[in-house]
Amino acid sequence: MLKKLRNLGSEVSKKKGVYLFLVPGFLFFATFAVYPLLFSLRMSFLDWKVIQKSAFVGLQNYIRAFHDPIVGIAFRNTILYGIITVPGQMVLGLGAALLLNRRLRGRVVFRAIYYLPVVTSWVVVALIFKYIFNDQAGVINYLLKDVFHIIPHYIGWLIEPWTALFVVMALGIWKGIGWSMVIFLAGLQSIPHELYEAAGIDGASSLQQFRKITVPLLRSTLVFLLIMLGIGSFNVFISIYVITHGGPFNQTQVVLSWMYTQSFDYLHFGYGAALSWILFAVIFIASFLQYKYLHHKIQY
Amino acid sequence: MQQRKGIANGITVVLLLLGALIMLAPFLYMVSTAFKSHTYVLELPPQFIPREPTASNFVKVWKSENFRQYFLNSLLVTAGTTVLAVAISSMMAFAFARFEFPGKSFFFWTLMTALMIPGMLLIIPQFILAKQLHLLNSLWGLIPFYTSGNLAFNTFLLKGYFEGLPKELEDSAHIDGASLFTIYVRIFIPLAKAPLAVVTIFTSLMAWDEFVLALTFLNDPSKWTLPIAIALFQGEHMTEWGLVFAASTIAVVPVIGVFIAFQRYFIQGISTTGVK
Amino acid sequence: MKRSTRSLVLGLLIGMLIGVVGLVGTAQTKTTITFWHTYSAAENKELVEVLIPEFEAANPGIEVKPVQFPYDEFHRKLITSMAGGVAPDLARMDIIWVPEFADMGALAPLDQNFADFQAYAKNTFAGPLSTCYWNGFYYGLPLDTNTRVLYWNKEMFNAAGIQGPPSTWAEFKADAEALTKDTNGDGEIDQWGFAMGGTYPWATLPWLWSGGGMITDPKVSEASGYLDSPKSIAALQFIVDLYKAGAIAPTVFGGGIGTYDGLAQNKYAMLLSGPWIFPIMKGMYPDLELHPALLPAGPGGSISVVGGEDVVIFQQSDHKEAAWKFVQFMLSEEVQLAMAKVGQVPVLKSVIGTEYMKTHQYYPIYLEQLQTAKARTSHPAWQEIRAALIDAVESAMRGGKTPKQALTEAAKKIDQLLK
Repeated sequence: MLKKLRNLGSEVSKKKGVYLFLVPGFLFFATFAVYPLLFSLRMSFLDWKVIQKSAFVGLQNYIRAFHDPIVGIAFRNTILYGIITVPGQMVLGLGAALLLNRRLRGRVVFRAIYYLPVVTSWVVVALIFKYIFNDQAGVINYLLKDVFHIIPHYIGWLIEPWTALFVVMALGIWKGIGWSMVIFLAGLQSIPHELYEAAGIDGASSLQQFRKITVPLLRSTLVFLLIMLGIGSFNVFISIYVITHGGPFNQTQVVLSWMYTQSFDYLHFGYGAALSWILFAVIFIASFLQYKYLHHKIQY
Repeated sequence: MQQRKGIANGITVVLLLLGALIMLAPFLYMVSTAFKSHTYVLELPPQFIPREPTASNFVKVWKSENFRQYFLNSLLVTAGTTVLAVAISSMMAFAFARFEFPGKSFFFWTLMTALMIPGMLLIIPQFILAKQLHLLNSLWGLIPFYTSGNLAFNTFLLKGYFEGLPKELEDSAHIDGASLFTIYVRIFIPLAKAPLAVVTIFTSLMAWDEFVLALTFLNDPSKWTLPIAIALFQGEHMTEWGLVFAASTIAVVPVIGVFIAFQRYFIQGISTTGVK
Repeated sequence: MKRSTRSLVLGLLIGMLIGVVGLVGTAQTKTTITFWHTYSAAENKELVEVLIPEFEAANPGIEVKPVQFPYDEFHRKLITSMAGGVAPDLARMDIIWVPEFADMGALAPLDQNFADFQAYAKNTFAGPLSTCYWNGFYYGLPLDTNTRVLYWNKEMFNAAGIQGPPSTWAEFKADAEALTKDTNGDGEIDQWGFAMGGTYPWATLPWLWSGGGMITDPKVSEASGYLDSPKSIAALQFIVDLYKAGAIAPTVFGGGIGTYDGLAQNKYAMLLSGPWIFPIMKGMYPDLELHPALLPAGPGGSISVVGGEDVVIFQQSDHKEAAWKFVQFMLSEEVQLAMAKVGQVPVLKSVIGTEYMKTHQYYPIYLEQLQTAKARTSHPAWQEIRAALIDAVESAMRGGKTPKQALTEAAKKIDQLLK
């Protein structure tokens, strides 16, 4: 720490004025993010009533969460969603980035097309996915059964919990590929071209170049994406809300959809707040661990 | 060698086209539905090319009450949020990247936890806060909430860029007697055009799309934003999807335009930030 | 430069002063009431362009500010506004929300606040009016109503040699099974006798009630003994048997094409629907002829479910008297008839006899069905009761439980919620 200070210890970096650069940001942060956050923390210890006086219930909302079987299902689904969609977006996003990093006619158009889902509204695309995966007349079943003859019968995608979850995950990956692609493209562009040229002269194959140059030099990009997409996956909500609404039998609930149902449908706001704080704690720990174990290994 | 390259390029193009088809299909579904009249229920199986294409939905949407006002309102909120969020977060990023001060690490990581807050959690507390601060039912009132929602990510990205700049920059300027603020405005901001473009795009996208807070805060239809207008085309018992999709298409066009125009700048910009 | 700044400031100050004086001036003479609703575009047009100007002309001191919200977001919008203490003066809300908001303390008890409440209440239908009642008081008045009737596909019935729509459960079952077929011989059913949009109470309660079953006792104090009564169980068994026979289309669990599409494309022979099916079908399938009929009568009769909206006044309102004037206006014969012309089924007994209603294309059958229709349980915890009912129906249809097990468990859950 001391050594660091001395290294950066130029005249300027000691200026007191530096705090002035932080004041506006932290004023905003404290007012518009921290204050509502503390308010909801308080809510989680109350049987919060919209208008009438709320009673203090201690840890009851938290204890209830641990006895609620649907909370277990919701966490299982949320984690599963992350385990599948995060690598899915990363692999396909990297693939698209590698292809679109080449000198190619129409590259800009392709990039725009792949980015298009990112900027299209969640509600609209969730609705469209619902129709694409319809069992009787959806395009997917039509292709699988009538065109390619891969399946003998139409699959009731939205009827069974697991296939419905699959649809939600497919949507999550589809919508996120473009974002990962853009970040990977940025990462690829920061790799000096000379490295590949040298490797090419040494006779390394494309695959070897990919493994020995691209992957190691993309490491911090990978960690960044892992953490950001991980956080995003814990916040999955709209697609579930539109496509399955948590059903059947609450088997497709995720944490936020269950929190939303408890808060805004059943008016158990205290319980809903407790659920979001539990989720927040889980996200925090997961991100911290990812950062701690992956970030420090990055030394080249 | 040349031939192998040709084959590789061929495979690349085929893969890209296949991917593009998958990425584009749902979007085409949306646009083609927007060109059909009287679509209360989405057609199954879908007709990608409407039998009787009509622009009537677009005309109806564009001429519907207040729609152009909604468009302007969205522009206003987006512009206000972007300016404020980029200004504030670049200042913070400058401080975090170029200086040592007590509590730096603590402040930075506290800010970063804001990335992890599930948004839905805060609707009611934010609403009550907005009421206390007299920010309800005003477009300006949305801006500070949107801004605070973007601070963490923007600061993170810009900090990465500022950290990468040579240390001598501010030293030489300081010898000339420049104040911190002058150094920030005259030296750092002009150098950071590309990464500033990145945070501008990310921030404006978020502000352009935000729906839940906007609907919760605004009571006066003349103040509503585009996403609310789109939701209004959905009815209790029936929804004319052609109208909803036409409105969604109109809303996404400026965004695509911005992406295509700034795409190169955008990707270059990201490659200079904290991501790499 | 300096001078121009000064004059600018001066100008602004004068402008603000005029503005303030103007505001105070109008505040003394005009009361503004806000009215939130979820009317459709056509209904909203009538309200804003015709009805409100009429009301304002007749009540010079009152200005009405209507705001149309998307239905899906309206509940959350109302709850949040109340939490902030900024509820509107009055609102048109789904009948099923009224007890919840009343229990919260959000609504003004109209029968306590206004002496002439009864005069208005007694002119409205009993079923819709009952949805305004909670815990001893009336918190609103019905504004519009609707219910579900049976639609049958004449072409498919004729092809199968069946004469008319079923009028009893036995006929319904026979018709539904006869009309369920594999028409192209590929081993999969592709035509169904009956289509349901889901397992929510709006779709299932007509069967429970027509079967003679009940959710709770009339006082809404317990479900055990009612929801798990032999009649309730037999009603659910009826649906389960139909489903197991393949006669209910996969739409009930989110598969298949939509119910309306299926009816129009000769894939579904029967379904239940509210009156909005007419404008929708007119837009989608202009050449299709619709054939409504009363619900087939079961052991309990032909009993459908009441939907619609009530108008309520909020406790947080400072202008309850003015709001009540607007409620009175909305319940006048002229307004009810005007709204009927843009798609809202009126709630006034006196409007039923008018020539317009009698000769209308489809209102008469709905009004007839409404004579016996029942409202869903009026209770603040309705959303949770609803979830328990959905669970029971689904677990009996495809969850491996018997109707008896499913309904007994649901009744116990609902008992807890009613406490």
